[in-house]
Amino acid sequence: MSCMIRPIKKTMTLMLLLCLTSIFLTGCWDRTEVNDLALILAAGIDKGKNKNIELSAQIYIPGGSQGGQQSGMSSGSSSGQSFVRSAEGETIADAMARLQEELTREVFWGQNEVLIIGEKLAKAGISDEIDFWMRHSEPRIRADVFVSKGRSKSVLGAKPELERDAAKQLRKIVKTHIGVKVTVKDLSQMLAGESAPAVLPWVEKLPPSLMDKKKEIPIINGAAIFKEGKMVGRLDDKETRGILWPRNEIKSGMITIAIDDENGYISLKLLRSHTELIPSIKNGQWSMHIKTNADLEVVQNTTKLNLFNSKVIKRSKQKVADEIEQRERLAFSEVQEKLNSDIFGFANEFQSKYPQIWKQKKDEWNEIFPQVAVSFETKVKIKRTGLATGKRQRGVEQ
Amino acid sequence: MIEKGRISYLELALIMYATVVATAILYIPYVTSQHAKRDLWLSPIWGSLSGFLIVMIIVKLSKLYPGKTLIEYGELILGRTLGKIISFIYLFFLLHDTAIAFREYGEFIESAFLHKTPIIFVTGSIALSCAIAVHGGIETIGRCATIFLPIVLALYILIYVFLIPDLNVKNIFPIMQDGIMPSIKGSIAPHAWLSQFSLMSFLIPFLTNQQKVMKWGMFSVIASVLTMVFINLGNLLLFGGIISNLYFPVFEAARFISVGSFFEHIESMVIAFWVLGGFVQLSSFFYMLTLGTSQWLTLPSYKQFVLPIGFLIIIFSVWSIPSFEEMIQGMGTTMPFYFLTVQLLIPVLLLGVAVIRRKRSNSFLP
Amino acid sequence: MKIGGILGVTVILVLIFLYQWPKLNKNGRKVKITFFLLMLLNWVLAVLLVIFPEMPGPGQLIDFIYKSFETFW
Repeated sequence: MSCMIRPIKKTMTLMLLLCLTSIFLTGCWDRTEVNDLALILAAGIDKGKNKNIELSAQIYIPGGSQGGQQSGMSSGSSSGQSFVRSAEGETIADAMARLQEELTREVFWGQNEVLIIGEKLAKAGISDEIDFWMRHSEPRIRADVFVSKGRSKSVLGAKPELERDAAKQLRKIVKTHIGVKVTVKDLSQMLAGESAPAVLPWVEKLPPSLMDKKKEIPIINGAAIFKEGKMVGRLDDKETRGILWPRNEIKSGMITIAIDDENGYISLKLLRSHTELIPSIKNGQWSMHIKTNADLEVVQNTTKLNLFNSKVIKRSKQKVADEIEQRERLAFSEVQEKLNSDIFGFANEFQSKYPQIWKQKKDEWNEIFPQVAVSFETKVKIKRTGLATGKRQRGVEQ
Repeated sequence: MIEKGRISYLELALIMYATVVATAILYIPYVTSQHAKRDLWLSPIWGSLSGFLIVMIIVKLSKLYPGKTLIEYGELILGRTLGKIISFIYLFFLLHDTAIAFREYGEFIESAFLHKTPIIFVTGSIALSCAIAVHGGIETIGRCATIFLPIVLALYILIYVFLIPDLNVKNIFPIMQDGIMPSIKGSIAPHAWLSQFSLMSFLIPFLTNQQKVMKWGMFSVIASVLTMVFINLGNLLLFGGIISNLYFPVFEAARFISVGSFFEHIESMVIAFWVLGGFVQLSSFFYMLTLGTSQWLTLPSYKQFVLPIGFLIIIFSVWSIPSFEEMIQGMGTTMPFYFLTVQLLIPVLLLGVAVIRRKRSNSFLP
Repeated sequence: MKIGGILGVTVILVLIFLYQWPKLNKNGRKVKITFFLLMLLNWVLAVLLVIFPEMPGPGQLIDFIYKSFETFW
């Protein structure tokens, strides 16, 4: 008899334990099911009425039925996979609470990977808003940050052709590293620096194409420059390319050069580059030496020059280096002299090399930065000249 | 002896490692960075002094009184009344320390995930599962340590391996910008954590062999210090100047992982594995407290007292720490002195008296 | 709420008591008395904490003793 009861007792205990674990593991108070969540894909913040903040959120619509109906069609471009809602409040958190009132499901920030700041708010200052992103445990600090021309809400509502929504579109664009890429963490780090300089990608809307008048696509066109947490100006696309070199962020690019009196151009593709900032302080003169190493590859040659000729290579290297330096100079003249915003991280470089001098002069950094003498040294290597040589069809022998 | 189980050197080292490091990696970066700023990775190195010193003293004491824990030889060294009082202070400290460890665990889970769940349920449920391990005895905890800790260690390293593309080496410069003092000031919290190696005295009696205990104790201290340096350095390289604003940089780092845009959002897994380490830590604290209490009361067995003492720990974890902010504040100010006076001064006092007594009795006898 | 809290801790403690008590018989009186006192302490503290959540605790005592050290640092 007892040998019958023992296994039963054991099973009972096991069952009880299993029941208990299922109670304890779910975490009753914080239990949330996926179908009770409103997933935020992208968020935009704008200046609202009387000092309020307007929070716009792009919310994902989980539509299983939609895909089933239009099974033959491409589901990627189908409209209505997400929608945009906005609400105003004194802070972002307050606005979020208002937003929550309009939604049947609980707002969930975990998937939010894009944050767009409206132009007006950017000009008024963003330091306080970033606090929400750092403090709250749900939003990711890896989210990419942008500044939009006009209101951020209109960017969120745009329907791009190739990607699912505006958020995805912007993320994909910054991933190519043609413009600056800034995450919430980076922004927070920049704002913590001396005189709080920052740079963020600038979002504009591509005018509606002729084919489809309704569609406006957000693209990155330049960068917004911040100082003391406020937007002070913006760079166009060309100048932005210039700041990428000293920031060591350039990952891809095309450089086209013309060699002296030759007809035609040589286009080179950037393979990789590395930039080093070398600070020095001599006799009270602060200077920064910017040393760039770039590897390139020729992709098109419309000149008559033979690229196997070492003289030609030497001349084109020089040309490329000049071109790179010219881009950098253009950016520096804008950022250093006009906007006076240290987005290159000069302050950190001086601080690490001259900690003692830095401590004394820290407060004068705003006056020192425009005076820092900048010099360039660019070393270019042309790694390959492509798969074809010369200009065969013209049949020119050199 | 109350405890019949035996553990190996490796298990001893792993249990002590878990006891010290599990919560340290969560709180050390924030607390040290408050004083040390960019030199926070140096602080644990200064802190290792306490660890080495305490291991030396504890091992020496256990050589003088083999097979006895601090509670037992305290009485032998100082006499019955004084010994009981000193042991009680130590036990009370241990209760407090255990309560703090449970609270640290709970607060972390609360701030990271379960915002609305009352903390008492978080700490209560882990206490219940720890109680099972404690009831199983020291061998159970040792096995748990050998199984879980390799996973946890791999996790600590993997977090930062995945983050390599985001680490910026420039962040550690300038090293010692304001001299050596800030890093020494910041080392106060690592001192407190590493002083917990005095708890080794509860484990040494249960070793199968006793000869190499010094070597393994030191090994455990070095491993703990290296882990703290590694974690601090990893966070510094990732976050730079803003590290002093983040309460749980390790958690933020785990959230930051994104490999190839599909291997991301893995913080839940990271926490799940971290809880394994936390479990070993809390079980070992819990075990030492239960064992110490039973020895103090000279009871024949400790197993009946696991649940009541678990309940007491939970009460203390609510009672002795008013809020999260005060706990963090305390870690950088009053707590370390409390930890050091109890865990360093009491063993030093015991060792001093013991040595003098030995000498006297030796000079009388021959 | 307070009544509920008191009831809750009482129920938990009674459960622990019922679970452990049969196992205590073979261990003699000393164990029984200690166990009983420990449970009583638990109950009193828990009830006090439910009624006065702001009751000053050992944390304040430690702060009071070690406050003077803080100024050195």
